[in-house]
Amino acid sequence: MVITITSGKGGVGKSTSTANLAIGLAMQGKRVVAIDFDIGLRNLDMILGLENRIVYDVVDVMEGNCKLPQALITDKKNKDLFFLPASQSKDKNILEKSKVQALIADLKAQFDFVLIDSPAGIESGFEHAMLFADRAIVVVTPEVSSVRDSDRVIGIMDAKSQKVKDGQEMVKHILINRIKPELVEKQEMLSNEDVLKILALPLIGLVPEDPKIISATNTGEPIIYTQSPSALAFQRITKRILGEDVPFVEFKTKRGLMGALRGLFA
Amino acid sequence: MTLLTKWFKGTSSAHIAKDRLKLVLAYERSVRLPYMEEMKKEILAVVQKYIHTSKIDVRANSNHDIDTLEVEIVLEKQTPTS
Repeated sequence: MVITITSGKGGVGKSTSTANLAIGLAMQGKRVVAIDFDIGLRNLDMILGLENRIVYDVVDVMEGNCKLPQALITDKKNKDLFFLPASQSKDKNILEKSKVQALIADLKAQFDFVLIDSPAGIESGFEHAMLFADRAIVVVTPEVSSVRDSDRVIGIMDAKSQKVKDGQEMVKHILINRIKPELVEKQEMLSNEDVLKILALPLIGLVPEDPKIISATNTGEPIIYTQSPSALAFQRITKRILGEDVPFVEFKTKRGLMGALRGLFA
Repeated sequence: MTLLTKWFKGTSSAHIAKDRLKLVLAYERSVRLPYMEEMKKEILAVVQKYIHTSKIDVRANSNHDIDTLEVEIVLEKQTPTS
């Protein structure tokens, strides 16, 4: 199963989602490979804490400079999780459709899940990242710019995806990230319902804004190993990807004494 | 900065982030020149014509729009001949 994690604009949490969902699936006993397809810019390695182990990258594999197993980096904690880093020396235009297709077919044969961390927007890199995917998870933040750009990206996937061209359906889901419940309650932020109504796609998960994500990225220890609200959200999304029916948790602002105290010190 | 954060400065996640970024960027900014080894040997040969040395360190860096080549030659201590 090849899943592309994409978005309309940058900075919505694609790489964070890719890293945590890849770990989540590996923790459920699946063989997973996470590919950083943001050619020219590397970020997934930092989030996974694997930046010091990179020798070869995804372009090296496609160009035949090395064999696939040489480029795959094993995760620190999960022996069933592998990582294929983005190239830094090349730009996004280097990708060739046939080579991308061959690589993804090769990975698909070896792994239960291939997670592609796609570049944002509608450049060629994005197209290559979604062309051969079975499914797409569109990461959206409840903001006007993110929702608008996501709609554009969804349209492009519908028009260009190989699955669609083959007469099949490319399953697409929305992941709403960085939700701030206190703003939603004050009606200062788009609600989940608003976002879903506008984009007209099924929901795969709701992830609250979580300050702990910053320190997780700082240290290269993904949040999913903790019991933080966003970690629990990613764990639930993992189960949904595996076909489990997990109820959606609505985030409420904490009321009562502790909430009031928190409000004082926030 | 409060006292507490001062105590834990070495292990704070921002501190770890800073260290990781420094490492990664130092590596990424280093330019890998194909002729580096060859050039090192030649520079060393020239220097050795005049003075004893065996240690040479050449670093190429690229940051913003400036590329630099830093050559560090460690000279051996001259033993005074009387």
